[in-house]
Amino acid sequence: MEDREFERLLKITRLKLTEKEKETARKDIEEIIGYFDRIDKIKTTEKPAYQPTEIPTRLRKDEIVPFPDADALKKQSKLHDGYILGPKL
Amino acid sequence: MTSYIREFLGMEKPKGYYTELASEIEKKDAEYHAFTTLNRKIIDCSDGSVPFTTKANICVKGIETTAGSKMLKGYLPPFDATVVERMLNDGKFSFLGETNMDEFGFGTFGLNTEVPARNAFDKDYVAGGSSSGAAVATAMLKYHVAISESTGGSIATPAALNGVVGFTPTYGAVSRYGLIDYANSLDKIGVMARSADDARMVFDIIKGKDEYDTTCAVEKINDEGKDKIYIIRELMEKTEPAIKKAFEKMVDGVGKSYEIKEVSMPILAEAIAPYYIIAMAEASTNLAKYTGYKYGLQYGEFNRRYNDFFTEARSNFGIEAKRRIILGTFIRSESVKDKYYTKALAVRRMIIKEMAKLLNDGFMLSPTLPIPTPRVSDAMKLTSVQNYAMDIFTIPPNLGGFPHITFPYDYMDGMPMGAQLITGHANDYALLDFVSEWEKGFQYKYKHNLGSL
Repeated sequence: MEDREFERLLKITRLKLTEKEKETARKDIEEIIGYFDRIDKIKTTEKPAYQPTEIPTRLRKDEIVPFPDADALKKQSKLHDGYILGPKL
Repeated sequence: MTSYIREFLGMEKPKGYYTELASEIEKKDAEYHAFTTLNRKIIDCSDGSVPFTTKANICVKGIETTAGSKMLKGYLPPFDATVVERMLNDGKFSFLGETNMDEFGFGTFGLNTEVPARNAFDKDYVAGGSSSGAAVATAMLKYHVAISESTGGSIATPAALNGVVGFTPTYGAVSRYGLIDYANSLDKIGVMARSADDARMVFDIIKGKDEYDTTCAVEKINDEGKDKIYIIRELMEKTEPAIKKAFEKMVDGVGKSYEIKEVSMPILAEAIAPYYIIAMAEASTNLAKYTGYKYGLQYGEFNRRYNDFFTEARSNFGIEAKRRIILGTFIRSESVKDKYYTKALAVRRMIIKEMAKLLNDGFMLSPTLPIPTPRVSDAMKLTSVQNYAMDIFTIPPNLGGFPHITFPYDYMDGMPMGAQLITGHANDYALLDFVSEWEKGFQYKYKHNLGSL
């Protein structure tokens, strides 16, 4: 994997690695991708199986159901006037 | 029929039983690290019921649920997962605590977490993963059942290494509402217990449709016995001689009741790559939601720039999680998606079709792991690819969503060995029947029996 590609992946996944971690991770990742390349040798004309079993489309009624304990959910985060605080855009 | 649940429910418990049990667990767990949370309130609410634990990626209201990750430190779910709600509503069980695991389920030996659980038979050996704590707790406590979860072998592997029964139901038989996702097309909630009948009792409580999980779609669980057992040649070729020898001895015994057939299915020896491609692709999307302000970890430096905030917050992932996020994201890149991800999905269909054909006619039986239990020090030296290779037996049924069960069949140098039986989709009861029969002629061994009466 080229340096540029590796740095691109770190950027889009919002991950930061130390130089030492980068070195180890790249080595591991290259070994793993090399292993994944075995899949090239498998010949198949099957369609992708996104799920292991057939799952019928079955949706709930489109209606509002109040969450039983919404306040508990809010307690997880820092709040300002009842809104969850996040980083500025 | 062996049922520790029934035995316990039928016994008079001395005053202070649960207080004593909690103290015993606390003392022992300082060495084995099976628990991430011990619910001391069980003492107040147990009312003679059987203790159950949940893997730390299953939400329990008000109990810190971290999925083994620093990213979820402090997360208190405001709701119970469906499986927890069903266990509590049944009335026979009390919540005892949450059990240790590899971070987000990423591991074969239980080592990818801050304080790994240790094997219940010998602390120098691995507990197995990712449901390490569930297996160790089951091997330590006489009267207890564990709700656990498997993506690629996370129930079977630790259950085998700790000498307990590990049952992974058909994909879609048990609701996953309240499960912290690893890979949505692979995750399944199951059970660990000290007997097949106890696993069945818990399965009957937790299975069935749930309007909060549309993938929980299995209508009926069957009990179709088989008279043939298939052994896959290409998988046995990857097995260490000592395991092969012990396994063949067991098969000789089973052969008195079943027709044993060794067959060739080369594609199963190639299942590791497609499995990890799919698992990592899905994991990398699931882990995108951990951003340091909505769930668990509160990074709090809101004056930082938008991207810097997320990057700093996400540095709390462990190295294996980071590796899988990077790899999963790479695999999904437009330029290589067809080569890896789409191809892996097609190979999965191929594997499902071949396995389903064989399983229509008989069970598949194998050792659960290709090697004897490794020492912690040895397992830590393995490379990622060597680690993944340990999943050779557990990946095929997990990739295909087939129900499978692991059970102890022998002991080598004092350590348990597990065998794995697989059947077709929705034929889960047939596995539990098989192991119930097995237990009539084989006595499981335990080093600890905390909570004995």
